[in-house]
Amino acid sequence: MSAPSPHKPRRRVKKTTSNGSEVSSVASSSGRSGSSRPAYPLAALLWPARSSVSQWEVLPFILMAAGLARWAAGLWGYSGFQSPPMHGDYEAQRHWMEITTKLPISQWYFHDLEWWGLDYPPLTAYHSWLLGQVGSLINPAWFALHTSRALDDPTLKVYMRATVIVSEYLVFIPAAVIFVRRLSKLQGVNTWVASIALVAILMQPGTILIDHVHFQYNTVMLGLVLASMSSVLAGRFMWSCVFFVMALGFKQMALYYAPAMFAYLLGVCIIPRINIPRFLGIAIITLVSFAILFAPILLGALYDTHRGINARPELDGYFAPLPIFTQYSFKVNFRAWYYPIIQQAAQVIYRVFPFARGLFEDKVANFWCAINVIVKLRNYPAELLQRASLLLTLLSILPPCFLILVQPRKELLPLALATSAWGFFLFSFQVHEKSVLLPLMPMTVLLASKQGMNKRVRAWVGFANLLGVWTMFPLLQRVDLRIPYYVLSLLWAYLLGLPPTSFEVYKHDRNSTWLAFATKVIHGIFYTFMVVWHVAEAFLAPPNDKPDLWVVINAGVGAAGFGICYLWCLWSLTIESDLLNFSKSERRKEKSQ
Amino acid sequence: MSDRYPSLAQCAVVATAFKTLLFPAYKSTDFEVHRNWLAITNSLPVREWYYENTSEWTLDYPPFFAYFEWMLSQLARLADPAMLRVYNLEYDSWQTVYFQRASVMITELVLIYALHLYVQTAPMAQKRPSQAAALSVLLSPGILIIDHIHFQYNGFLYGILILSLVLARKPSTTLASGLLFAALLCFKHIYLYLAPAYFVYLLRAYCLGPRSIFHIQFGNALKLGAGVITVFAAALGPFIYWGQIPQLLNRLFPFSRGLCHAYWAPNFWAMYSFTDRILIYVAPRLGLSINQDAVNSVTRGLVGDTSFAVLPEITPRMTFILTLLFQAIPLVKLFFDPSWTTFIGAVTLCGYASFLFGWHVHEKAILLIIIPFSLIALQDRRYLGAFRPLAVAGHVSLFPLIFTAAEFPIKTVYSIFWLVLFLLTFDRLAPASSRPRIFLLDRFSLLYIAFSIPLILYCSLIHGVVFGDKLEFLPLMFTSSYSAVGVVGSWVGFLVVYFTS
Repeated sequence: MSAPSPHKPRRRVKKTTSNGSEVSSVASSSGRSGSSRPAYPLAALLWPARSSVSQWEVLPFILMAAGLARWAAGLWGYSGFQSPPMHGDYEAQRHWMEITTKLPISQWYFHDLEWWGLDYPPLTAYHSWLLGQVGSLINPAWFALHTSRALDDPTLKVYMRATVIVSEYLVFIPAAVIFVRRLSKLQGVNTWVASIALVAILMQPGTILIDHVHFQYNTVMLGLVLASMSSVLAGRFMWSCVFFVMALGFKQMALYYAPAMFAYLLGVCIIPRINIPRFLGIAIITLVSFAILFAPILLGALYDTHRGINARPELDGYFAPLPIFTQYSFKVNFRAWYYPIIQQAAQVIYRVFPFARGLFEDKVANFWCAINVIVKLRNYPAELLQRASLLLTLLSILPPCFLILVQPRKELLPLALATSAWGFFLFSFQVHEKSVLLPLMPMTVLLASKQGMNKRVRAWVGFANLLGVWTMFPLLQRVDLRIPYYVLSLLWAYLLGLPPTSFEVYKHDRNSTWLAFATKVIHGIFYTFMVVWHVAEAFLAPPNDKPDLWVVINAGVGAAGFGICYLWCLWSLTIESDLLNFSKSERRKEKSQ
Repeated sequence: MSDRYPSLAQCAVVATAFKTLLFPAYKSTDFEVHRNWLAITNSLPVREWYYENTSEWTLDYPPFFAYFEWMLSQLARLADPAMLRVYNLEYDSWQTVYFQRASVMITELVLIYALHLYVQTAPMAQKRPSQAAALSVLLSPGILIIDHIHFQYNGFLYGILILSLVLARKPSTTLASGLLFAALLCFKHIYLYLAPAYFVYLLRAYCLGPRSIFHIQFGNALKLGAGVITVFAAALGPFIYWGQIPQLLNRLFPFSRGLCHAYWAPNFWAMYSFTDRILIYVAPRLGLSINQDAVNSVTRGLVGDTSFAVLPEITPRMTFILTLLFQAIPLVKLFFDPSWTTFIGAVTLCGYASFLFGWHVHEKAILLIIIPFSLIALQDRRYLGAFRPLAVAGHVSLFPLIFTAAEFPIKTVYSIFWLVLFLLTFDRLAPASSRPRIFLLDRFSLLYIAFSIPLILYCSLIHGVVFGDKLEFLPLMFTSSYSAVGVVGSWVGFLVVYFTS
């Protein structure tokens, strides 16, 4: 195609032939003739880029395409649009921008808690403050105190959507790009395959639907966790701590990862030999990060008291007991100079951790909600249930934490985080449907690992993600988001060659293992069930005495599927960690697939 | 051969997903226009179609399109019967929106099939470039902006056009090509602008002998003539019978409109108007007289018609003569060299001439040039050199169609994505020409393309910040003048390529 002449193309196309084994996971070669073809549509779409020299040529296109999908999805409605009295997450986020920009810092966590009182950690508050300041420059009415409640100005929607995208492009996306790059370099994955994995990670339907359609800023927290994981890959443990503390400071849900992260960081300090300086460094930097994170809010409380601004003006100078450790609060001197700090810290902790709420709020696909169908949990004392929940959660996260502690290898971290997060999602209390994004994130980034785009990993990551969005369907359907749900999840399934668009991932060679067979059967059952459920939900009305029937079935089946995902992550972690003897032969078999 | 990925179908699936996400996007009055046509054709007898005027958006497309709307309306009844009531103006229930948006996507299958045939019939050595060109048309930001945001059925209509152009490739299907084009004319009469090229090509390649022009093939001529008459009879027959042709012509060709459309399409007259605006300030020094009326009542490029303060007034007759003249010149070459490439070139040049010099040209008509040109843009690097500024100018000139904040990132990012992706791909795929390139044209186009970035920035962002709502004609004028330079430049460049190859 490049003819010898004075007008030849400026860039000579280089043919890379050293594709090696892992390209075979993407391009299934038909016969020995060497003519290969892409194994699934996403590989076909990026096919022309196979020959490109660096990933930087492809990256701008990936970023533009991901941005377009997000923005187009954002044209749909958000949660709580024109649905009084409380509206939804969108109003919550907007309201936080209103109170953080218009109220003194000491009142942020106290202001009118009935109307979306701030219940996220301080970094979210600072983020809201920044977005509120910028937004107020454009239109001050958007965040005017009191008068702006439940505002549904279309331009405000554009601004809010833009803030989600900008936040994601500043946090999650750079983190994902760097993480994929580091992991692929570490494991010798071809850059073209890494680009495919990056697209698959960025087009994950769950995060787009929840953040850009339903409305939230989860990708900021997930991005900070991913940045932390990426720092681990680079061996920068202190940076890893900083990012992880920021993630915790943005959304307390990051605690789902905390045990595994803690176990890993502890592991690298004691194995192969005890490393005291590293341990001290990690400990100190974590404490300092927390201190910096809380400094503005605590010092702000002091400063406000100094200025004569009371955190709780509605009390008219009287003092109320602290919300936590209430029985000890009379021992504290209300007039002491440090009292505002104690009061503020207690309030933040009280708001951030939902102590007084029930085991589960809505129908969510976890263990408790599923078991509730059979045994009515209402009949048991709340105390007992909380203990049981704590115990089961601890039991479920213990194996991954143990494995990562004794085998602190960086490539095991995503699996350990995913297993730990699945444990929390399934067994802890006060879980929300949207929290499924937490276990899904580290599981999805497995696509970028070695063998990540092969059939086995693709089938499982795809299964978890599609099941995950399926359990969020009732949430999305409530605000008329069926079409973006179908489009984004089917598009992702199509790109990765997953059911219901293709069954290519389950076609194995002759020497397939019993594990592959089990995968095929389990996934087959679940996918069939999801399709049948969708048909039933769309065309059949639930019986009169059980109006929630479809939602309950959804949650129950989802919980079972997530349980299997938990087991798969734990199983893979065990295999990968090489602790058991049979793992060697098993891995060799998998490679041959 | 093995390298022809991604396939058209794969891209079509992804594009369809994206277009479905655009369902709730901004839609122009064209959406209401088409809803009204659904209502008219569904609820009124055929006799009254071209007389009905409850809505200001009366039926002004030829009968085949009306029949098409009638067929759609049969399905629309299942979606939401309320959209089919003539008096139900501005009705846009979500069923209506979903139905109409979906109908655009489904009828676009014609385009996909036509492009598939285009790649199929390409010679072996041309397969890869043809595949790239086909993808560029399929994913065209022009079609995305006009059809899937603004709302029209161009994907369907251009699908028929491409099908007809591709059928002209083989002698065995030339007749079908001609008949299909006749049918296309009965769908939308804007394609009349391309008719001269078809006329000359069919005359020379189908009705006259390959060796001598005096060797008339009467059989072919008869078949073509009878076929075309049948097609037109099917479309216009009932209206001729009822004596409604004058009313039809009145609806189809509203000459009472002004020279430039509401927002200036980037053509010769935009440059003419721009020069006139400049001359208002310069004229006093040169001692030219200024028509004060025009200065004060200035339409500022926003209202219906433009009148000129310094330069002479333009009449429809003058634009008509200029258009025909610039269409005739390339047709002479087509008559003596009736190859397929020359034919497509001639169609493209007919599109250019009508776009640049026509009366009341709409900016959407730029597709009339871009789409036929895409089919031959990868012929060699000289073609590509002329195509590049057209692709940039044409798509930038469509930006003012969509002016809402929510759709701004979609139109700009998508267009930039498409331009960078396809101009780079084309650059790699276009074979070198056997003839030397025209000096400076490449440099010109590079400079030109680079200039688009500050222009888009200014029009979309800086102007709003600096001037607010004042002087809102300025960005429009800059955009259309800039684009006009590109279109005229690419026209001149392509004329040279056309006549020297």
